[in-house]
Amino acid sequence: MAKNKDMLTDIGIQFFSQMSASATHEIKNALAIINENAGLLGDLSMMPQNEHSLTPKRANDIAQKVAKHVQRADLVLKKLNWLSHSADQVTQIEDLEEIVCFVLDLTSRLVEQQGVIIEVTPPESPVIVDTNIFYLENMIWKAIEAACSVVAGEKKIIISFGNDVTIPSIWFSMSTIKDDLKNNSMEDMFGSKEVFALLAYLGISIEKNIENNSFGLLWPKRI
Amino acid sequence: MSEKVLLVDDEKEFLEIMSERMEARGMQVTTATTASQALSIIEEKSFDAIVMDFQMPGMDGMEALKTIKSKKPELQIILLTGYATVEKTVEAMKVGATDFLEKPADIEALSEKIKKAKAEKMLIVEKQTEDKIKDILQRHGG
Repeated sequence: MAKNKDMLTDIGIQFFSQMSASATHEIKNALAIINENAGLLGDLSMMPQNEHSLTPKRANDIAQKVAKHVQRADLVLKKLNWLSHSADQVTQIEDLEEIVCFVLDLTSRLVEQQGVIIEVTPPESPVIVDTNIFYLENMIWKAIEAACSVVAGEKKIIISFGNDVTIPSIWFSMSTIKDDLKNNSMEDMFGSKEVFALLAYLGISIEKNIENNSFGLLWPKRI
Repeated sequence: MSEKVLLVDDEKEFLEIMSERMEARGMQVTTATTASQALSIIEEKSFDAIVMDFQMPGMDGMEALKTIKSKKPELQIILLTGYATVEKTVEAMKVGATDFLEKPADIEALSEKIKKAKAEKMLIVEKQTEDKIKDILQRHGG
């Protein structure tokens, strides 16, 4: 039991570190653009009066670019703040689609870097879960990572929700799966004992559907 | 003579402003938004230095660094990054990066590094030429 708790702590810290590293990288990129715009203003103000001089229009363009990247950095910080607060309570009642969309928003940069496109098909009616939101976000990211590692072809993943209201579920359908990975077990796909400790803690099981290149996270009963 | 620089970053706005500021300092700047685009450009043109973001979609900085160094070992590569761990920095230097600079970068510091990179490249090219001449002389009984 203590070992499972350690594994949960490890995977939780790893998830938070990965998200923080990605967010701070993006903030640095926004700051770099703000910094260069400030530098450009300095450069232009030092130049002799000619066709390259600082005009009111140019100054306004630079100001708008700075504002845009301040907003971009602020948005990244908001997401990181939201993630931090998701660990405030042990369990919370939340809308499953909202959690999935938040994780996708939070991890969009990491997914884009792999050239993968993810689309969400909303559920017919809201799917509510009462669970540990931080660990659920962690599990959804692990599932996205697993899907990204096996998807091939046009590299498209569709996330949908099961229609059975008594068994909440999230499905990850890949456009094509790499041939050599088709027969891999779930253990191979997720690759670590920590993920299975996470699944056990959340009370989630995984179901694989080789025929339609998908797998799902299922709650055995409504929680 | 002005320094010829290839600037590689997936942030288009960063490329636009940086190249404008570098050109204002007398450099000739070519830009690329991906590592694979940069690889095609270096096949066609010669550069004194490549300034490249370490983390990009598709081929990342480390992979690009290895490929460029295997194709053109004389090329000088300065890596730009949001955050770099000591481990990554050491790994990149071992693979052949000339220098490292953290974002947001100071343009004067970057210009200095580019000048040093150009001088380093000239030394390597001179050495390569000298070796070639020695080799020719030896083969032809000089």
